[in-house]
Amino acid sequence: MSAEEVAASTPERHAIGISFGNSHSSIANTGADGKPEVIANEEGDRQIPSILSYVSGEEFHGTQAKAQLVRNPKNTVAYFRDFLGKDFKQVDPTSAHASAHPQQHESTVAFSIHDSESETPNTVTVSEITTRHIRRLASSASEYLGYKVNAAVVTVPTDFSDKQRAALTEAAKAAGVDVLQFIHEPVAAVLAYDARPEAKVSDKIVVVADLGGTRSDVAVIASRGGLYTILATAHDPELGGSKLDQVLIDHFAKEFVKKHKTDPRENARSLAKLKLESEATKKALSLGTTATLSVESLAEGIDFSATINRTRYELLSSKVFGEFRRLIETAVSKAQLDLLDIDEVILSGGSSHTPKIASVVGAAFPETTTVLAPSTSTSAINPSELAVRGASIQASLIEGFEHEDIEQSTHPVVTVAPHLNRAIGALVISAEEHHGIFRPLLEPETAVPARRTAQFATPKEGGDVLIKIVEAAREIHSRKPEPKPKADEKKDDDDEEDDVSDFTDSEDEEEEIREKKWKVHTVLAEAAIKATKKGSKVEVVINVGSDLGIQITAREVGAQGGVRGSVEKPATAVNGSA
Amino acid sequence: PLLPAGWSSDKDFKAVGSLSPATQRSLEPVGPHFLAHARRKRHQRTFSEDERI
Repeated sequence: MSAEEVAASTPERHAIGISFGNSHSSIANTGADGKPEVIANEEGDRQIPSILSYVSGEEFHGTQAKAQLVRNPKNTVAYFRDFLGKDFKQVDPTSAHASAHPQQHESTVAFSIHDSESETPNTVTVSEITTRHIRRLASSASEYLGYKVNAAVVTVPTDFSDKQRAALTEAAKAAGVDVLQFIHEPVAAVLAYDARPEAKVSDKIVVVADLGGTRSDVAVIASRGGLYTILATAHDPELGGSKLDQVLIDHFAKEFVKKHKTDPRENARSLAKLKLESEATKKALSLGTTATLSVESLAEGIDFSATINRTRYELLSSKVFGEFRRLIETAVSKAQLDLLDIDEVILSGGSSHTPKIASVVGAAFPETTTVLAPSTSTSAINPSELAVRGASIQASLIEGFEHEDIEQSTHPVVTVAPHLNRAIGALVISAEEHHGIFRPLLEPETAVPARRTAQFATPKEGGDVLIKIVEAAREIHSRKPEPKPKADEKKDDDDEEDDVSDFTDSEDEEEEIREKKWKVHTVLAEAAIKATKKGSKVEVVINVGSDLGIQITAREVGAQGGVRGSVEKPATAVNGSA
Repeated sequence: PLLPAGWSSDKDFKAVGSLSPATQRSLEPVGPHFLAHARRKRHQRTFSEDERI
């Protein structure tokens, strides 16, 4: 029974996408038109703070709960996502310092809070907190959509353990939400971009930098014909928007000390006020070039008001921006790639709104790399919404599937596939490996089975044509720029080369120029197409099977027949090909 | 490129080498193209068979 055919068997299921973060959570739904829509809760927030607070037995959630961090920190639970499914010893309680503290409770983490009207505090486990949080998210979605939401696709970081996933599934179940699938946050971001109607599915290497509130995660993803493979990830559990908040807190605190001789950071309540306002100021600086901060009765009953401009803020936080950049570079080198290999950088997460981060990150990459952030690209999607949009698209795709179907499809037997180590393509211009220019059809890291088609121009005068299919590897060449512009690039590497290439590179920079080049590794096959017409094109189709056998078809566009042939799979068995 | 003189082969096609070993990696089970891939793999269909259905 195919997955599509069972769509009608669970008519009662309504799934949404949920992104569940330490700082913020979001909900989104993809309707019949296929466009994901991020749902605002009753307070009008699309980024709903992952915070719960209790005041005399009443539960507050989201922004309302966040405000309680000032007056009622002990009964306010925040930054709890990463505590879920972990032992007390494993958790880092730093970010929960200004709210209810996590404590050890049996094998899990719990909070001691006054969540009822009784005098004694209750011990509430992090699972129970998560359940309450998800219940509120689902009810906000249900109220907006007008029907009961009972299932979801939830985004998680790439380093989320199975234990954490199981704990989250349980917690969601208790809230009446059936988790259909967990998807990785960076992959959800790529899907959010690829699912737009104007997007074209292509072969590219994408870096997704998820710059969050209390942590940042970077993933390098090979996107090949709409299939995604994570090549490497890098995590920083301490880097995030809260570090930028801290920069502003320190800046304003120093100003306050200068004027009033008392440090607002030394009083918990003053610090909580300053933190809340600094975060708002930071957000204002992402949109405008100046922002004000004003806090009533900041410390010792003194009101405080100050202005900061964006340039000043960027100077103060340049160190933090550099850390973001280094984390991204770490991830790329972990994938054993060069920055030149990256086609696209997707900035995701709340901190990606900062214009300077986009320009600092963009400067690390060559100009050919697209940086998708609000300040660098008009077509960028709101970085705060990427993960949840991806989740809601996935939710709409699998809503009708049975659990068994989803499990079978996500089983390693299906997901593990051989990925090409080198590119496969055709040599053009000349059959000689030194002179020929390599045109990749299948990029490295493409999962097989895969099929690609490309068209090549034939020599001007027509005639007999040789199609040479080769395997090639990417090499990075660096060279000093020549004093004269329009130097033939090949001359620098190999003096024996003739002027074959019409490729000119006239960049007059002093620093050394690094570039990507293809080096032919092995010739796979040759095919001859005879008597092509003047100015016609040859279409080549390469089909790589899961056993690494190759079928090649080449024919002149518009002509009948053509040449077909196959290349045997490699003699040595590939480790456990499925 | 132009066909060198004297090149000939059965049915105009000559297989020369074979691919270098591939790496086993895990795909992300996300998106419409993956679902199509999973469907093909579970039913052991090829691309063209899949298109005909």
